Amino acid sequence: MTPFSKDPDGNLVVGFTAIEADIVADLAAQIAAMLGDLAGTRDADPLFDSVGIGGSAAIDDDPAIARLLPDAYGADAEASSDFRQLTERSLARRKVDNANVVIGTLARGDGTVVLGERQAQAWLRTLSDIRLTIAARLGIEADGDEGDTGSEAAAALHDLYDWLAFVTESLIDALED
Amino acid sequence: MAKTLENTELLEQTVLDSPWVTLVWNDPVNLMSYVSYVFRSYFGFSRDEADRRMLQVHNDGRAVVATGSREEMERHVEAMHDFGLWATLQKADA
Repeated sequence: MTPFSKDPDGNLVVGFTAIEADIVADLAAQIAAMLGDLAGTRDADPLFDSVGIGGSAAIDDDPAIARLLPDAYGADAEASSDFRQLTERSLARRKVDNANVVIGTLARGDGTVVLGERQAQAWLRTLSDIRLTIAARLGIEADGDEGDTGSEAAAALHDLYDWLAFVTESLIDALED
Repeated sequence: MAKTLENTELLEQTVLDSPWVTLVWNDPVNLMSYVSYVFRSYFGFSRDEADRRMLQVHNDGRAVVATGSREEMERHVEAMHDFGLWATLQKADA
């Protein structure tokens, strides 16, 4: 990977190998698929769908989804439920849209990705969503947690998790350049 | 006299409108640089202020990042969830 830099027009430019580009696109697709139902892209009630409401009454059982779509009211389950029903679908949809921006910008070819400001913001958010999801799968719940290290697959996920932190850091640096 | 009364009402109104806070909670995933970046880019904090609140999240487990009406705090919480930060709102005195 050639880290992110800002070109003279203010675009954010990064170079990925073909494998890296495939991995990031695949992870982004997993986020979009994971949130697809909650984003209402399937069997949505057209009326609720038109105004973006129709969210779930309670937080999801899947720890990754629960972390991406957390309760808004820490100590008030009823207020959290009301708020979730009004906002969950649009929040999930924005996350799916961001993931699709990542996939779209990676689809253009040779591994060099050029992002405008809005696309860069979508990338930042999706990188965070991907890392939160990997952490939930590895059981990283508190500062200092190693998470699951008991298999080759877990070790590979850890490497990916760390590499995505590097990608994020590189994008922040370039945005602030 | 009438003027004074109006001012009092206005003050009370301001107090009643501002009893909510947005909290950002510590998580082991998001980078310190990312949290600070979000605080700067979204809330418009200076680098020093953003770093101070980011460190408060990191060291104390949480920090207040905004105070205001319930509706405003709901918007902030949603925006934080967009970024993948773990945020909640509650009454300021809770």
